[in-house]
Amino acid sequence: MSRRRVVLVDDHHIFRSGVRAELGEAVEIVGEAGSVAEAVPLIRELDPDVVLLDVHLPDGGGHAVIAQVAPERPGVRFLALSVSDAAEDVIDVIRAGARGYVTKTISGSELVDAINRTADGDAVFSPRLAGFVLDAFRSGEAAVDPELDTLTAREREVLQLIARGYRYKEIAARLHLSVKTVESHVSAVLRKLQLSSRHELTRWAAERRLI
Amino acid sequence: MSTTPYRLPLTLPRLRRAPGEGAVAGVCAGIGRSLRVDATLVRLTFALLAFAGGAGVVAYGGAWLALEPESGPAPSSKRRLVGYVGLALAGAIALRGFGFSDSLIWPAALCGAGILLARGRQGASVVAGLALVAVGVILFVDQNATSDGRDAAFQSSAVAITLLLVLGPWAWRLAAERNSERVARIRSEERAEMAARIHDSVLQTLALVQREANDPRRVAALARRQERELRGWLYPDARTEGASLASAIESAAVEVEELHGVPVELVRTGDAPLDDRVEALVLAAREAMANAAEHSGADEVSAFTDVGDDEIAIYVRDRGTGFDPDELSPGSHGIADSIRGRMERVGGTAAIVSSADGTEVELRLERRS
Repeated sequence: MSRRRVVLVDDHHIFRSGVRAELGEAVEIVGEAGSVAEAVPLIRELDPDVVLLDVHLPDGGGHAVIAQVAPERPGVRFLALSVSDAAEDVIDVIRAGARGYVTKTISGSELVDAINRTADGDAVFSPRLAGFVLDAFRSGEAAVDPELDTLTAREREVLQLIARGYRYKEIAARLHLSVKTVESHVSAVLRKLQLSSRHELTRWAAERRLI
Repeated sequence: MSTTPYRLPLTLPRLRRAPGEGAVAGVCAGIGRSLRVDATLVRLTFALLAFAGGAGVVAYGGAWLALEPESGPAPSSKRRLVGYVGLALAGAIALRGFGFSDSLIWPAALCGAGILLARGRQGASVVAGLALVAVGVILFVDQNATSDGRDAAFQSSAVAITLLLVLGPWAWRLAAERNSERVARIRSEERAEMAARIHDSVLQTLALVQREANDPRRVAALARRQERELRGWLYPDARTEGASLASAIESAAVEVEELHGVPVELVRTGDAPLDDRVEALVLAAREAMANAAEHSGADEVSAFTDVGDDEIAIYVRDRGTGFDPDELSPGSHGIADSIRGRMERVGGTAAIVSSADGTEVELRLERRS
């Protein structure tokens, strides 16, 4: 597999050099940016496979980068990377178009794996993101569009296993599915999260809104 | 995210002169710009006023003296005073020109001059201004009462209007000052709280990190605890306040992490109030987390708390060496008492699956309302 071309967007220089060291030769880091204003022209110019994107940036969130770049560079995929626990910030970036969310405590090898999966167009769900999404799609509320506003039993099952710390391969073995099928369930959840107009999503975000 | 304090739009437009822009002294051009109206309109007003007994000319002279130029030195207070008197005079002349009687004009002129004086910041000019206003009001009430004997309501409304005119701007300014003081106070309180917080937590942790630099496990644990604490402060989660399952399991995870130096990755959905049964569930989960951290050899423990409508489930998982739950020595109280026994006593279940790939403890408790 050829090395993926990656752009790193994070406002902390120390963190960027840490990630660079940890990723080593496994991927090719073609550029770094510390703000939305720096990131947008850089990504347009370099056209990387994957952008590792901090949820919080000084001049707007990671979602601002995606909103400005994605329409012209549909081939670029975004993976959100953050220490933030604020659910609505994470959901914002995902809804803007990121393919997944991992926390900064992730190990180097897991991060390489997540980058490769993002580049392949798969969705990357950390346990924490799975928890957020399960919360957002909680049962018991009327759905406006059942196709988009509710999770199937299988999807819920897969997300619960992710939240419990299972990897895709382990989930596949446990549910007697292929890894590909697990991936397609996760991608379906990501699509619902991005397209759903489920009012609970907004209400849920508003409840958690910082004062 | 801080909210911007609401600010009253308290600034009145400040009239200025624009020297060099008009034909004479730039009075009309300056006033026009200050009020954002066409200068021609201002000029026309002055011209019309000039027909009212020459009031426009006097007013122009007064404004020339009193108004601060847009650039250049501000007029001296003496010059300004003369200007104000000129303006008051112009007002009087204009009123007279429009046919108002002297009994209205002179008190009004006195009051006008007094209000202008009272706007100054020095004590003496305020006192003098207030005195002028008082004289004006007395004169007005007196003259009108004696000339045609109107009722008391008229007198009191005259006094009220005057008080409003005099005290209004003052109260206005006071409110503006209080508003900005309040903003400044909130800011400094926020800063003090932030400083205290950083001192108590971040600086202490950094000091500890320096001292324990040789023990990477301990440093990692310190950093993680600090991160958790700061995060809890920056992104307060409404669900963790008060006695709830979420806050209890959160602190159990932190305790295990600190005690054994192994990070616990906790994910939660939903929340439930803490009663005796839920507390037993949390204690059982804590024991499971502690076992995983202590015995499995894994470098991370995952915990997932899932609160459903009918049931609460907690999963504790590690990728450690695993063990055979049935072949435990009789002395291992941890699993028998602290996990299984505890769950059974409150009507819940505990299932343990362990293999060479690691261990998962699954705790379930039916919700009773």
